[in-house]
Amino acid sequence: MSSRGSLMFLLHAHLPYVNHPQDSAFLEENWFFEAVVEAYVPLIVSLERLASEGIRPGITLSISPTLGAMLENEALETKLGLYVESRLELIEKELERAQNDPALLRTVQLYRDLYESAAKLLHKYSGDLITPLKALQHAGQIEIITTAATHAVLPLLERPEAVRAQLSVAAEDYLDRFNRKSAGFWLPECAYEPRLNSYLKLSGFNYTFTETHSVGGPPDGVYSPYRTSNGVGLFARDAASSREVWSSRGGYPGDPAYREFYRDLGYDGDLEYVRPYLGADGARRPLGLKYYRITGAGKDLAEKQYYDPDAALARVQEHAADFLERRVKDVDGFYASRGGRPLIVSCYDAELFGHWWFEGPAFLETVIRRIRQERLPLQFVTPSEYLNSCQEPQEISPRVSSWGENGYFDPWVNESNDFIYPAVYAATDKMIETANRFRNQDLDNINARALNQAARETLLAQSSDWAFLLYIGSHSAYAQGRLEEHASNALKLLGEVIEKRVDEQSLAGLEKKNNLFHRLDFRVFASVSRF
Amino acid sequence: MPELARPLPLEDRLVLLPKNPGAFFVFWQFSESRLEAFRSAAFFPEVELRLVYSDDKTHASVHKAVWSSGRAYLPVPERGGNCEAALYALRNGAWERLLESNQAAAPEPASGQDGRAYASMEFMKRSQS
Repeated sequence: MSSRGSLMFLLHAHLPYVNHPQDSAFLEENWFFEAVVEAYVPLIVSLERLASEGIRPGITLSISPTLGAMLENEALETKLGLYVESRLELIEKELERAQNDPALLRTVQLYRDLYESAAKLLHKYSGDLITPLKALQHAGQIEIITTAATHAVLPLLERPEAVRAQLSVAAEDYLDRFNRKSAGFWLPECAYEPRLNSYLKLSGFNYTFTETHSVGGPPDGVYSPYRTSNGVGLFARDAASSREVWSSRGGYPGDPAYREFYRDLGYDGDLEYVRPYLGADGARRPLGLKYYRITGAGKDLAEKQYYDPDAALARVQEHAADFLERRVKDVDGFYASRGGRPLIVSCYDAELFGHWWFEGPAFLETVIRRIRQERLPLQFVTPSEYLNSCQEPQEISPRVSSWGENGYFDPWVNESNDFIYPAVYAATDKMIETANRFRNQDLDNINARALNQAARETLLAQSSDWAFLLYIGSHSAYAQGRLEEHASNALKLLGEVIEKRVDEQSLAGLEKKNNLFHRLDFRVFASVSRF
Repeated sequence: MPELARPLPLEDRLVLLPKNPGAFFVFWQFSESRLEAFRSAAFFPEVELRLVYSDDKTHASVHKAVWSSGRAYLPVPERGGNCEAALYALRNGAWERLLESNQAAAPEPASGQDGRAYASMEFMKRSQS
C-alpha cells in the first residue's frame, strides 16, 4: 500500500565519557557496559535482522562523540568483554540454582540469550560496535548523525567560541568515525535558541530537531519540516507519539507485564553468592539480572511477581499495534483535513529501549515489521531522505526550548547544580583567552599537546551530564568530582603553558585517561572576527 | 547548598543565563582587589543586579543580593526578550557599576505545557517524585 504519511524515529544514543583505566571495576563504567548489552547490541541485532529480511528499518541514530569514543576505546572494549564473561559465569550458576523453579528458569535463560548475543556480536566485530552501524548506514538502512562534542546544553554556553568548538569538534569527530559528513545535528537535550542557526549552518549541518513547543504556531504544527532563515532544516518532535511511550499514566513501559527495573539480583541475592560480581568495595550494586515484573502501579518491590517473558512479548505485540493504530489515525486525520501527507517525528533516548524498558527493542522491531506485514499506509523515513524529496519547507523562527522537564533549562540550572557554572565558565574563558594568545605561534610538541588536552578537558567540563546527575541526585559526588576535575585540569594545563613549565608526566596521564578527539586542535576555541 | 570543592581563579565575571520564561540565572565572581574591597567593607555588602532590555538599554528591573552569595535567580522582566545585567556596589554613598553581563534571551512561554511528553525516563521519574 502506498503511504499516506511518514514516520521518523530518532534514537539519541549518548553516555558521558567515563574511562578509568587505572581501575579494574569502576562503578560508573557499568553505565557503558549495561547500555551496550541491554540497548545497543539488541538494537544492532534487530536492525541487522530486519535488513537481512529485506525490511529497511529507516530509523535515525544520533551517536554522541563521547559514546563513539567509548565504543572505540580498546581498554573499555576489553573491560566490556570481561563484564560479559563475568555475567555469563553468574548466569550459569543461576541456571543451576533455578533448575527446580521453572518460572525463574525461563527468565534466566532469557538473560543467557541476551549476554550470549552480546558476546557473539562483540566477537563478530572484534569489539568494535561502530563497524556494524557504519555498515548499516552505508547500505542505506539507517541514517546516523552527531551531536555536540561532549553533549553541552548549548544555550547555556554564553561564549560563541565555546558553542562553535562543541559543533566543529563534533563534525570532525563524526567525519573521522564514519568517513563522511554528518548531515544532521542532534541538539543536546533538544535545547534550542536562535543564535544556534548560524553555528549549525557554518559547521555544515543541514538539519536539526527541536521540541514540540518550539514551533507552536505554524498551521501544520509538528507534522511538517521547517527551515530557519538561513536554510537549516528543522524537525519538531511530536509530543503525542512520545507521550504514548513515556506517559507516567498508561505509557507502554509501565505495563504490569514488563520487567521491573529496580529489583535486581545484586540487591536480592545472598551477599557471599553475588560478592565476586560486585565491585572491589563489595557494596551491593545492580548486576543486570532482574527477575520480576512491574506487577502493578505502586506495588512495593517486595510484592513484585516473577517476570513472564511470553506474557511480556504478548504485550509488546499489543502495544506496537496500538502505537501504529494511533499513528494511522493521526495520518488519516491530517490527510482528510489538509489533503497532505504528514510527517510524524518521534525522538527518544536510545538507552530507554532495552536498558530502562527491557522490551523496548522488541517493540521497535515489531513496529517496523508490522508496517510491512500489515501493509499499513505509513513508511519510515530518515531526515535526509525526507528533505531531499519534500517541497521547500516553510521558514519559521523557532522558540527557545528543550525537551527537559518544563520545556526549558530548569533541569540544568537550579539550586542543586547552579554552583558548577563558575567552574565551567572559568575553564572556558581561560581556554578561549589562551587559544587566542597562542593561535599564531609555533609551538613545540609538549606545549601543543598541553593546549590540546586543555581543550579536551574544557569540553568535558561543559557536558550536560554533570548538571543533570546533580539534579536527579544520582551519582552526585561523581558528577561534581568530574566537573571539578576537568575544569581544574584545563586551568592547570593552561597555566603551565603560559608559565612554560608543562609537567609531561601528568600531561601523559591525562592524555591516557581522557583520550578522545584525537585530532583536536586547541585553536578551535580561538575567537573569530566574523562568525 | 552544594559548593565547589576546589578554588577558582579570582576574576571579574558576571554571567546571565536563561532558565525558563519566568527566570534568569545570574552568577558573578570578583578579582582579588574587588574581593578585598568587599571584605574590608569599602563596599556595602548588599549589591544591586540591574537588568536592562538589550534592544534599547532601558531599565527593566533591580534586584538586591549579598555580594558573597555569588549567584541569584532574577525574574524575567515584563517585556521579556533579550536582557543584560549589571552588578552595582555602594561605596561612600554612591553606586558603582562593577560588572556587566552578556545578553541572554528569555524563553517565550509556550502554550500546551500540560502533559509534557518526556523523552527520558529520568525526567519522568523526577516529575513523579
